[in-house]
Amino acid sequence: MLRSQIVLIILMVLYALYVIRLRTPTRDRLIYLGLAAVGGCLVIRPDWSTSIASRLSIGRGVDLVLYLFVVFSLFHFATTAARLRGIQRDLAELSRSLALLSPERRSPDLPRTP
Amino acid sequence: MTATPPLQSRTIVVIPAFQEATMIGEVVGKLRALGWQVVVVDDGSRDHTSLVAGNAGATVLRHPVNIGQGGALRTGFAWALSIPVCEYVVTFDADGQHDPEDVERLLLPIAMNRTDVVLGSRFLRSDDAGRIPSLRRRLLRLATLGARLRTGLRITDSHNGLRAFHRGAVARLRLSQDRMAHASEIQREIARLSLRYQEVPVHIAYTRYSLAKGQRLTDAVSILWDILTARMR
Repeated sequence: MLRSQIVLIILMVLYALYVIRLRTPTRDRLIYLGLAAVGGCLVIRPDWSTSIASRLSIGRGVDLVLYLFVVFSLFHFATTAARLRGIQRDLAELSRSLALLSPERRSPDLPRTP
Repeated sequence: MTATPPLQSRTIVVIPAFQEATMIGEVVGKLRALGWQVVVVDDGSRDHTSLVAGNAGATVLRHPVNIGQGGALRTGFAWALSIPVCEYVVTFDADGQHDPEDVERLLLPIAMNRTDVVLGSRFLRSDDAGRIPSLRRRLLRLATLGARLRTGLRITDSHNGLRAFHRGAVARLRLSQDRMAHASEIQREIARLSLRYQEVPVHIAYTRYSLAKGQRLTDAVSILWDILTARMR
């Protein structure tokens, strides 16, 4: 095996270990582990990517991997952006609740309760 | 027959404020001098905005972090609605652009039950229209035209923060924009709820301070982006 392949395999294994120890939902972790496994296979047997690619009429195995990476990245951007917006919304609601619970220097003229 | 209580005892003026320690005291003071009840929503300022506002006689609601002017308004609205005797809500800017004397003029059409929402417009007064810096005027005209095309509302000044609402209108508003695009969202809500609305000429003071703080080109771009992406949420 090439030196580069060994390095990549080690990186994949480290990545897999990191993912296993993450506290994200199990479904997400399984997806990432699956991707690491696929990545590991392609590192050990690069000709697999070429044969799959040619069956899909894509030139090289590298191009196939690149396209898949682009698709995955776009998906990841969208879901992360959505999640961030959700967090911002939650933050705003929390801030509002806090503000309303502790008003400062209440004006004596308008009673809050009837 | 008992006399109707004055407008001041049935109205709450909501002022969203971020880093406005310099001007907020004066703004609140002038409003209080005219008898208005003021709520300042301090949107996570790191200066003495809350302290100054409170000392000037406002009730202060403080966000622990900055969430945006739209969010500050929503907090102010929630507060106003929690007060049973509050019938009218006025939104007012913290930077001294608005004239406290205009508040009463804004409320009269609502008090006379001729409308649900009153929007202040600087373009209705011929003497003020000339004093607005031309780039800003063109940007405002553009935003106004966009709003008119999208909502069908005939509004001449869509980014004027001086507005008055009947309590019922405030209760029905469903605002989700926490950052700057709340102005356009308020218009969309007025259109969606078919609220009666009216514009009233108001005076805008362009001091060097307010010009520096006012909407810049980058804000216009981010407002546009917020609106466009809002449909996809």
